[in-house]
Amino acid sequence: MIKNWWWKIGAIALVLYSIAMGFLGNVPRLNILNETIRNLYFHVPLWFAMLVQMGISWVFALMYLNGYKIKYDILSSRAAYVGGMFALPGVITGSIWATYTWGKPWVADDPKLQGVMAAMIVYFVYYLLRALIPDAQTKARISAVYNIFAFIMTFVFIMIYPRLAPNSLHPGNGGNPAFGKYDMDNMMRLVFYPACIGWILMSVWLLTVLNRMKKLQYNLDNDEEEI
Amino acid sequence: MRKKFNLIMSRFDDLEMKRLLFFNFAFLILNSFGFAQQTSIEDAPQMADSFRADGKIYVVVLVLSVVFACLATYLIIIDRKISKLERRIAETKLNNKIAEVK
Amino acid sequence: MASILLYVLSIVFISFLSFKSGIKPDVWCALFWIVLFFAAINAASKSFFTESKARGIYNYTLYHPTEFVISKIVYNILLLWVVCLCSVLCFSWMINYPVQNTLLFIMALLLGSTALAGSLTLMSCIASKTGNSYSVMSLLSMPVCIPVMLLSLRLTKNAIDGLEWSVSYKYLGGLFFIDLIIITLSLFLFRYLWKE
Repeated sequence: MIKNWWWKIGAIALVLYSIAMGFLGNVPRLNILNETIRNLYFHVPLWFAMLVQMGISWVFALMYLNGYKIKYDILSSRAAYVGGMFALPGVITGSIWATYTWGKPWVADDPKLQGVMAAMIVYFVYYLLRALIPDAQTKARISAVYNIFAFIMTFVFIMIYPRLAPNSLHPGNGGNPAFGKYDMDNMMRLVFYPACIGWILMSVWLLTVLNRMKKLQYNLDNDEEEI
Repeated sequence: MRKKFNLIMSRFDDLEMKRLLFFNFAFLILNSFGFAQQTSIEDAPQMADSFRADGKIYVVVLVLSVVFACLATYLIIIDRKISKLERRIAETKLNNKIAEVK
Repeated sequence: MASILLYVLSIVFISFLSFKSGIKPDVWCALFWIVLFFAAINAASKSFFTESKARGIYNYTLYHPTEFVISKIVYNILLLWVVCLCSVLCFSWMINYPVQNTLLFIMALLLGSTALAGSLTLMSCIASKTGNSYSVMSLLSMPVCIPVMLLSLRLTKNAIDGLEWSVSYKYLGGLFFIDLIIITLSLFLFRYLWKE
């Protein structure tokens, strides 16, 4: 059977539950949003999963710089890749949602969108850096240093800057009431929290799979050391 | 032997990347389905009640579940393959050690 | 040093030529900071790219990493201050000088260029390790410099409009805070890049 099957099957179950109840459950009736409020169950958990992955990447970058063990660098870089893989559908789903609710796919003056763009550039540069340096040890060290910078910047851009900005279209940022006001405590929380947990677990599963693959590759390429 | 492993590994990488691209596009396309029925705003917020009354909402749920189930199954398959490989490598290393000792 | 000034001069000249109908104050502001940003990248990249291997080993054996990076950062900060001054002179000579609150403008310049210098020193050290130096350097420096540029732009805009000081306090505070963070991070992280 697959390793640690219990939480993986649990993750699948949670996401399937959120898909099913996301459409079958009741949602508050709001103007402008109408049915699209159901997108909350898909768009937001993707971003949470991304933040969790980038956090994992940051922590392991710090651990790598502590002891210079390459297994931490492998985990850190895979986590950054998985975070990027979840950021991409997050941006695309957000853009689709915006086309129907805000009128156009990309709004110029929403601070959260600007923050997201800046964060994605930060991590694209991280991927570029990893691709450009040929030597494994140098690559690990330099990308770990950059990762520390990158996560702090990302966190500031995505979480802190939009809340401080004067006006924003996203709920919870820039003077809008958070989604809590939109009846979150009754119907939507029951589906939203499992969806978040499910997607975060899916991202962690993807991380473990990629990590094991890379470790196998590394072990096979280097006979001397075993990680 | 090692070259074979490396070949298998590179095949995995391709599949993984393709899977993720497919995942992104599927997500993109399927998410647009749910909102296509929204057209105008009346006095009370117009919702997809007729959709649900007709029982069509189950189609939406089914489609999305099927897509997600495919992706999850793919992940499970890959996970299993990796476990098998890990076990095989560990066995080979063990056999080598035993052969050395002998 | 001379190359940077020549660079600034040529860019200012080109922008002067391209804006036939004169430059409005907010355009001046944005243009000024863009020119400064690229001049800063040029200036900071010189600090690590010209290091040869032999000199690198010499430095490694003689100096403690923190002292080394402090000296580089201080040098870059001073260099950038000089470049700022010269850019302002270039701009005011060729285009115009719309700033009403000069003291605020000077503070914005000094704080902003300090932040730029601190972060760009670290980034140039990282970029010197990869193959294609300049493009990586500008890519690396861009995300780090975005908040610095945003704050400096707002401050400069306030200085140009001649708004009163109390409006700008939080931006000044923010810039100062970012300066501290960036320089502490650069100092802390340099040790790990030192070995290379």
